Amino acid sequence: MAGLKIENITKRFGETDVLKGVSLDIADGEFLSLVGPSGCGKSTLLRIIAGLEEQSSGEIYIGGAPVAGRRAADRNLSMVFQSYALYPHLSVAENIAVPLKMRRLSPLQRLPVLGRFMPGMRHQAAEIGTEITHAAKMLEIAHLLDRKPGQLSGGQRQRVALGRALVRDPTAFLLDEPLSNLDAKLRVQTRAEIAQLHRRLEATFIYVTHDQVEAMTMSDRIAVMMGGRILQCAAPDVVYDDPDTIEVAEFIGSPKINIVPVEVAETGEICLLDRKLDLLAQGRGKGVMSLGLRPEALRLAGEDAPIKGHVVHSENLGAELFVQIDAAGLGHPLTFRAAPRDRQALALGAPVGLAFDAAQALLFGADGLRVRDVRHHLPTQAEVA
Amino acid sequence: MTRDWWKHLILILGVIVVIAPFYMMVSYSFKSPGEIDRGEGGFFGRQEMMVDERCVKLRDPSRDDIAAAMDRFPGQTDAAIRTALVAEAEADCSMRPVVFNYSKAFTEAPLLRYLLNGVIVTASIFLIQVVVALPAAYALAKLKFWGRETVFGLVLFCLLIPVHAIALPLYIMLTKLGLTNSYAALVVPWTISVFGIFLMRQFFMTVPDDLIDAARMDGMSELAIVWRVMLPTAVPALMAFAIFSVVAHWNDYFWPRIVISGNRDLFTPPLGLREFKGDADGSFFGPMMATATVIVTPLIVAFLIAQKRFIEGITLSGMK
Repeated sequence: MAGLKIENITKRFGETDVLKGVSLDIADGEFLSLVGPSGCGKSTLLRIIAGLEEQSSGEIYIGGAPVAGRRAADRNLSMVFQSYALYPHLSVAENIAVPLKMRRLSPLQRLPVLGRFMPGMRHQAAEIGTEITHAAKMLEIAHLLDRKPGQLSGGQRQRVALGRALVRDPTAFLLDEPLSNLDAKLRVQTRAEIAQLHRRLEATFIYVTHDQVEAMTMSDRIAVMMGGRILQCAAPDVVYDDPDTIEVAEFIGSPKINIVPVEVAETGEICLLDRKLDLLAQGRGKGVMSLGLRPEALRLAGEDAPIKGHVVHSENLGAELFVQIDAAGLGHPLTFRAAPRDRQALALGAPVGLAFDAAQALLFGADGLRVRDVRHHLPTQAEVA
Repeated sequence: MTRDWWKHLILILGVIVVIAPFYMMVSYSFKSPGEIDRGEGGFFGRQEMMVDERCVKLRDPSRDDIAAAMDRFPGQTDAAIRTALVAEAEADCSMRPVVFNYSKAFTEAPLLRYLLNGVIVTASIFLIQVVVALPAAYALAKLKFWGRETVFGLVLFCLLIPVHAIALPLYIMLTKLGLTNSYAALVVPWTISVFGIFLMRQFFMTVPDDLIDAARMDGMSELAIVWRVMLPTAVPALMAFAIFSVVAHWNDYFWPRIVISGNRDLFTPPLGLREFKGDADGSFFGPMMATATVIVTPLIVAFLIAQKRFIEGITLSGMK
């Protein structure tokens, strides 16, 4: 077990820059998710860490030692692939045994038939057998050991792939979208199991996914990647509540955050739809900025609500209700999370007023960066009137 | 009658064209020379007892034989004893045509030796072809290296060269090396099969990269990946290639005829057919066709066993 340090990694494929200087520090035993839309370079980064791809520049340290030029096999990392990549001609037990055999047995002992008669083989085989059984028990696949991968369901194959990864006690686990081939229900279940496995093994996990829910639910920290850069790397709640850029805010959270344009006056006063908000962004000059409002930051309000509109669509999830509201003056509908008890008031086409707490609004500058030096000032009586 | 009857008609005609020579071969291997000459007797012939003239001639009694047989025929003239001995010989030498044809096939020429040679040659060719083609195909399909496309272009180019065009230079090279009239002459020119490289490369292209990466993470070297991962997954393609290779070299008459002259111990089965090419006294079609039947039987048996794979293989490659 050891931490990983990634220093200023770049990668070019021909003319395209896939990674533009990525640096990360991953602590020992940490569960770090690399999350981002497809094509953001997260899988490439993982493959570079694994040693399957070579970086154009930059350095990677595993446990403090640089690993440049070291083969994938010698980095003592193990990887779980999206397609599981089990050997189709080997049984489950043999699949799990491969990494152990390749490491512990001599080439002579690995010979197809003769290997069995090589000195010391019996002891080795017994040892490997115990470790396979141990791993299989941990993953509850002990009853499948004799089957071929073709006879397994997706979830079972996924466990076998995990078994093959964990049997040899690697420095770190690299997981490349391991859940994306599972159906929705199994994905939720396996998500919890992987998180438990991480707590149990206390090993470093690097988990690549495009699904922000997976990243939010499992990780110690999330690194949000876009366009070959890490935009923000922090704990899930920090990334959600306090995003650094508008892209991060838009990518994390489902349904997506509402972005509305606001005008900033010379004085720093902020106006939404010609209505002053109790926010002050001083010293930035006049201009247009964006205000991010999470669906749960909005609440129903009466006549004097700052945002007025009508319901265009609603999704009932049982415990909560996501309502799309087309507000006059805003280009696109806003998503609003309502409690089930408000369902009556939110029929299709019903007029709705929405208000929000300024403290929960996230302000972004024209360049997409977060504006943090915002002061809240309570409006005076005169202003409300 | 469905409206597709004409398709079936065309197919049936095609089948007849393909089957007819085969039918003749098997049928002739059952018949007596007389029936073959006169074209009668249906498929199996009448299977009447026939006398092997050569066998009788070989046992033509000499003076000593007649003297030795005096005891068995007491008080008879020499001429009568001679007639009795010839009649005995004829009785011993008469047999069913099918027995005659097949026993001739195995006794007249060392057919078993030829079959063994055929097995040695085709098996060595196929094994060496696999040893060469698999790593080459893996490199062309999955490794990135400078000039890969050029090398693959050359492979495709080599597919266009007919073997007959390079037979003479090959023969001269083998002669200079003193390799004619050896197993090496039969095997070496075929050890690099560009078709095999091409076929396996196309198959390897369909193997997911993740599988290879997983093998690398598990600690396999590139060669270990070829033999431990690619080979087992490529068994269907390999079967298809095996059938092409084995059929081509088992049935090959052209090349063995060129490089094997004289030494009958190195004859492959097709060369064995020449044994029955009569020169002055006409051809022995019966034993010749029996030999041909014996030669093709292993292939037919192999085909029946591997029928499913064979069809898979052809749809996979769809060529040659």
